[in-house]
Amino acid sequence: MSEHGGHAFYFTYLRRELQHRRRQALLAAAGLAVGVGLVVTVTAATAGVSGAEAAVLHSLYGVGTDVSVTKAAPDPGTPDPNSAGTSGSAHKGIGYSPGKRPQPVDQLIAAAGLSWLPASAVAQVARVHNVAAAAGGLTLTDSQFTVPSLSQLGPGGKPPASAFPTTSSVDGVDLSYLGLGPFASAHLVSGRGFAGSDASADVAVADSGYATAHKLRVGSSVTIGFHRFTVIGIVSQPPASAADVYIPLARAQALAKSSPVSSFSGMTSRDMVTNIYVAAASAADVPAVRASLARLLHAATVSSSADLASQVSGSLNSAATLAADLGRWLAVGVLLAAFAVASLLTLAAVGRRHAELGTLKALGWPGRRVIAQLLGESLVTGIIGAVLGVALGYGGAAIVRAAAPRLSATVAQSPGATPPLSISMNSSGAHRSYPPGSFHTVAVQMTAPVTATAVLLAVTLALAGALLAGAFGSWRASRLQPAAAMSTVE
Amino acid sequence: MYNLSGVTKTYTKHGGTIAAVQDASLSIADGEWIAIQGRTGSGKSTLLQLLGAMLRPDHGVLSFQDRDLASLPETMLTQVRAAEIGFVFQAFNLIPTLSAVENVEAALVPHRVPPAELRARAALALDSVGLADRAHHLPSELSGGQQQRVGIARALVKQPKVLLADEPTGNLDVDTRDEIMSLLETLWRERGLTLVLVTHDSGIAGRAQRIVAMKDGRLSIALAPEEHS
Repeated sequence: MSEHGGHAFYFTYLRRELQHRRRQALLAAAGLAVGVGLVVTVTAATAGVSGAEAAVLHSLYGVGTDVSVTKAAPDPGTPDPNSAGTSGSAHKGIGYSPGKRPQPVDQLIAAAGLSWLPASAVAQVARVHNVAAAAGGLTLTDSQFTVPSLSQLGPGGKPPASAFPTTSSVDGVDLSYLGLGPFASAHLVSGRGFAGSDASADVAVADSGYATAHKLRVGSSVTIGFHRFTVIGIVSQPPASAADVYIPLARAQALAKSSPVSSFSGMTSRDMVTNIYVAAASAADVPAVRASLARLLHAATVSSSADLASQVSGSLNSAATLAADLGRWLAVGVLLAAFAVASLLTLAAVGRRHAELGTLKALGWPGRRVIAQLLGESLVTGIIGAVLGVALGYGGAAIVRAAAPRLSATVAQSPGATPPLSISMNSSGAHRSYPPGSFHTVAVQMTAPVTATAVLLAVTLALAGALLAGAFGSWRASRLQPAAAMSTVE
Repeated sequence: MYNLSGVTKTYTKHGGTIAAVQDASLSIADGEWIAIQGRTGSGKSTLLQLLGAMLRPDHGVLSFQDRDLASLPETMLTQVRAAEIGFVFQAFNLIPTLSAVENVEAALVPHRVPPAELRARAALALDSVGLADRAHHLPSELSGGQQQRVGIARALVKQPKVLLADEPTGNLDVDTRDEIMSLLETLWRERGLTLVLVTHDSGIAGRAQRIVAMKDGRLSIALAPEEHS
């Protein structure tokens, strides 16, 4: 085969033929473009949903956490120290009664649904094979109220407003591993974060929303467990983050032990945690680490991101299912249809060019030269389809971003733990309810990022589809005899 | 040039077998002009395809330049068609999307020809058939006679040893037929070609040196050639 002259003729013939069949070529390219565009859009939407899920999960356990360990609260029916009291008593079963003078109460208890783990378990977990790091955490609820004096009670023993607790969520942060736990997802807005030297200090970092609501800034004071903490920094956090205030873990442990609430009755003076955050050596090690921790701490709840993802409910979950199932199969179906259309059009074109291709063979063109000409035409069609498809994909992703409703995700306040269920009776019968704050619903704005990987996948699919379609036509052409140049058989 | 001995070619069609060429024996000398005359369906085009290495005989020996075309591998047959055999089709068979000069270039694509030489040789071939001023016209912009001239130029641009013409004037009017036949005769004389022409027209066949009749796939007695001075 000739070199330069043959190359020039090749491209001239290719260009002329595509111009001659431009409608069919554009139809095939358009079909590929629709399929490819759908793949890019679905990939972007799936990535957006995954990103939203990850943001929800990361806000709960931090960016670097692969596995979390918690312990579920006791069965329902056990006296719930978080329950608000009725007339005459702020909390049932915990010994507060109105007296001669008002009694301020500031108690730190484990967050709803969580129980205690020994802090020594953190070191045990850190020694497990394929665990890169482990950190303890305390997820607490700070409940502040005033037990009224007898004289403050209203008609019928109705307590004043100050008798009802105001609560805030407090997280004890392990300052040795700031990359693990919910605090890892926080972004500093003002002031500073924690330093290693803050381990025993009464310093706090506040959530920006909480700080605004309570008029806190750097240098302000906040009271936790009757202790005054100085706010050293303000952070912004992902929507699902639960903590209003972060304090050093050691201080949280000390305050929790000294709390007058009897929820710790029976516990020894050992340090306690409610969460252990674990980073695996690699993503591939996560399942094995999870299984090892489940065997080591059989009474605890061990959850990976995949486990937590299954606990997320709401429209975010529905969107994830839609993108993963319907979206994927729709994209595959449209692509297959596009391949079929391109193949049929190529076969039809070869059929119409029967005499032409036979003539080329009669002129002495080798079969591979004829095939190369046909594949070149298909490849150009694929390139056009790829370019159009990527453009359609960007457009589709933009539409998803603009038109997608704000999604919601509902997670337990302490995922991995069972929220306590309250059962009450009144004239209308028995009623079951979870205490306020047991579940947390956050709004998530869905994105639809188009990544370089998605574009590369789209281009590859378009070119592969076009070449596959061209291969069908080329196969048919390869079977043509030179005598096909003659119109009839005598 | 050619030696055929007992050449047979059959086709299977609609469940039955058609013997397009039966037990054909023929010798064609270098530089000879031979016409194969017969009615439609007599097998003459099939015989031409066998001579053009576009079909393999089912039986017999078909020798071209001392090579048995029936036993050559497909790649070598392709090389023979590319280099040694020029074919002129009844329906012209030009590539509709290529200009006249590009159609002629198509015959040189299988050869190692630099681009400048490719265009020059094609232009020269067009000039030899009187179409230098139509080089950049598409086939749809040419008359039937002009298209056949392009076909002849394409067949001759590679300087083949033999020119095979299948009813070259079959789609042309009377006046154009004479032009084309005169052109073929001129080229045959000037280049010393071996020319094998298939036709049903006795007037056209009569211009050849020798006429071979074909009926029902069989070659009949060769008629005495006309003398050409």
